[in-house]
Order: sequence, then C-alpha cells, then structure tokens
Amino acid sequence: MDRKWEMGGGRWGRLLALLLALVCTFSLAQTGEPTHGATLTATQEAQAQAIGRTIRCPVCQGLPITESPSDLSQQMLRELREQVVAGQTPGQITSYFAARYGDTVLLDPPRRGVNLLLWLGPLAALLLGGWWLLGYLKRAKGAVVPTEEAEELDEGDDYLAQVKAQVAQGKLS
Amino acid sequence: MTTQSTSKSAPVSPLKRFLPPLIAAALVAALGVGLLRGNGGQVGGPLVDKAAPAFTLQTLDGGTVSLASLKGRPVVLNFWASWCIPCRDEAPILRGLSEKQSANGLAVVGVVFSDKNLTAVRKFTQDYALAYPSLLDPKLDTSIAYGVSGVPETFFIDKEGMVRGYDQGGLTPERLTAGLGKIGVVY
Repeated sequence: MDRKWEMGGGRWGRLLALLLALVCTFSLAQTGEPTHGATLTATQEAQAQAIGRTIRCPVCQGLPITESPSDLSQQMLRELREQVVAGQTPGQITSYFAARYGDTVLLDPPRRGVNLLLWLGPLAALLLGGWWLLGYLKRAKGAVVPTEEAEELDEGDDYLAQVKAQVAQGKLS
Repeated sequence: MTTQSTSKSAPVSPLKRFLPPLIAAALVAALGVGLLRGNGGQVGGPLVDKAAPAFTLQTLDGGTVSLASLKGRPVVLNFWASWCIPCRDEAPILRGLSEKQSANGLAVVGVVFSDKNLTAVRKFTQDYALAYPSLLDPKLDTSIAYGVSGVPETFFIDKEGMVRGYDQGGLTPERLTAGLGKIGVVY
C-alpha cells in the first residue's frame, strides 16, 4: 500500500491532483456565498458581513450571527444577504431584525430612549464620582491644616520647638 | 470611651443619611423588574400591535396554509419543536382549544421551529393527537419574521391580522385565556 502512495508521478499522483483540483474548485465556488437565487459580489458580501457583525445571535451569548454556527443565525445571515442583494440599506436591514427581535438583537444599541441610560449612565457616574472625589480630597486637605489644639500640643513639645528654632536660624534645611 | 466620641460627632444631614439606602433600594428594584421581565410569560413582544407577518407554509401532510387564507378569523399561532419540553406541557392545552375551533371562528396553527427530525415531529403530533395543522418552516423564514428565538412562543392574531398578544415559555390555561381575551375570544 505504502509503495503505491509513493508513486507521485503515476496513477495515484494523477488521481490526487484531480482530487485537489476538485477541492479547490469547490472552495472557490463557496467564496461566492450564493444565496437562494442570488450571488453576492465581493462588495456586497463585505457589506453583509459588516451588518451581520452588528446583529446578535438570538440563541447565543453575545455572539454576532456571522460567528455563530447555530441554524437560526445561519438562516438570519442568509436572509440578511438576500436583503443586501435586494438593495436594502444597512439601516433598513438592522431595523428589520430589531422590529422582530427588539433592540436586544443589536450589538450596537441605538442611542435613544431607555438605551440612552447605557451611554449616559457611565458618564453620569464618572461626573458624580469625580465630584465626590474632589469633595473628599478637599475635606482631607482641610483636615491636615494645623488646628488650635494641634498648635497647643506643639507648644508643649520642647524637641519640636528646638527644631523650629534651628530651622529659623538656618542650621537645618 | 468610644461612646463619648460618637456622641460628640456632628449630626449627619438627612441627604447623606438616606441617599445610600435609597440608591441601594432603586438598584434592587431595577434588578427585580429585570428578573421578572426575563422570566417569560406575556411580556409584550416587539410585534404586538403590529401587522402579523404573512406566511405560506406546507403542512406535515403536504398541504399548504397561509395567513391570508385565515383572514377574518382570530388565529393562535404556536411555534414548537419535538425536542422542546415545555411544548409537551402546552400541547394538550392547545389541543383542547383546537377542539373548540369552527370553520369561521378561531384557528389554531402550529409552526415547527428548527426541528429537522420529521419522524419525531410526526410522533409528537400523534402522541398529543394534535388535530390542528402543523406547518414546516425549513428555512426559518416565518420564525425569523416573527422574531422567534426559542420555543414555545405563541402569537395571538386578531381578525384584522394584527398581533395583539404574545406568550413565551409555555402556555398555562390562565395565560391562554388572557391571550385569547386580547383577540376577542372567550374561552
């Protein structure tokens, strides 16, 4: 058996070349991504993929339909391709799926309605957090200012008085 | 003594005192609403109060049923699959309902969702003696048009062809009665 497979230039070689040619032809045919009755150009396919990446697979966890192997996603992608071929705009196509599955099917939710909370929430949290942090820092800064009590305590500290005196005379820097 | 030091501390303003518990309560309420809404039932799907998408599909027996052919009749459109466990619980309820349907009255229609095992589909209809038509949707066109992502899902369509009610997760007699009420059917 092994000897026969080594005969690259013989009958097996020709058969292998034929099989490779068939596989290549099949692969090339697949890149055309035929939809039922329509074939997409490279530009249309790129557009379909770009739109598909914004549509969430309804039966997966956060996967776009372009990456999901599920039957439903594959059929949604087929339908999406048909709509691209039919000349629908990306907005029309995403609206079509959102009207049926709700805005949750969109991986890039529209900035309107309750969805605005998604976009404005973090900004509001940042502003509120910043405001609180500034207030806290101001309070903390105020806390280290010597109070009268602290000054009174300092007065009773001979060593501190000695250091202060030496600093004033320039002996310490 | 710590008790002395706390008693000397400045009084906390009502805003500072009540704001954190209020924020916590609001978050818990939001989570509760989210949990209850995600628990299935009649939550009102995106298609409610919109025109029911048209369809023409083949039945298991080789016949054809279209939504247009049911015009003028209230329709209960149920998406199911033989592998779906809750569908088994609601099948007897739907069979009971279909026994009440008449030529010009309520129509009960099933659509098989993402189920390529036709033997299992036929067995399911036989096991539960489903007398209403079960339509095949091999390319999932109709399922996608109705925004179906899992089964069971049921749409209540009125005589004018508008979706008025929606249920997911399995019908109970109470939820069926509520859905039928939205399309003017007393059951």
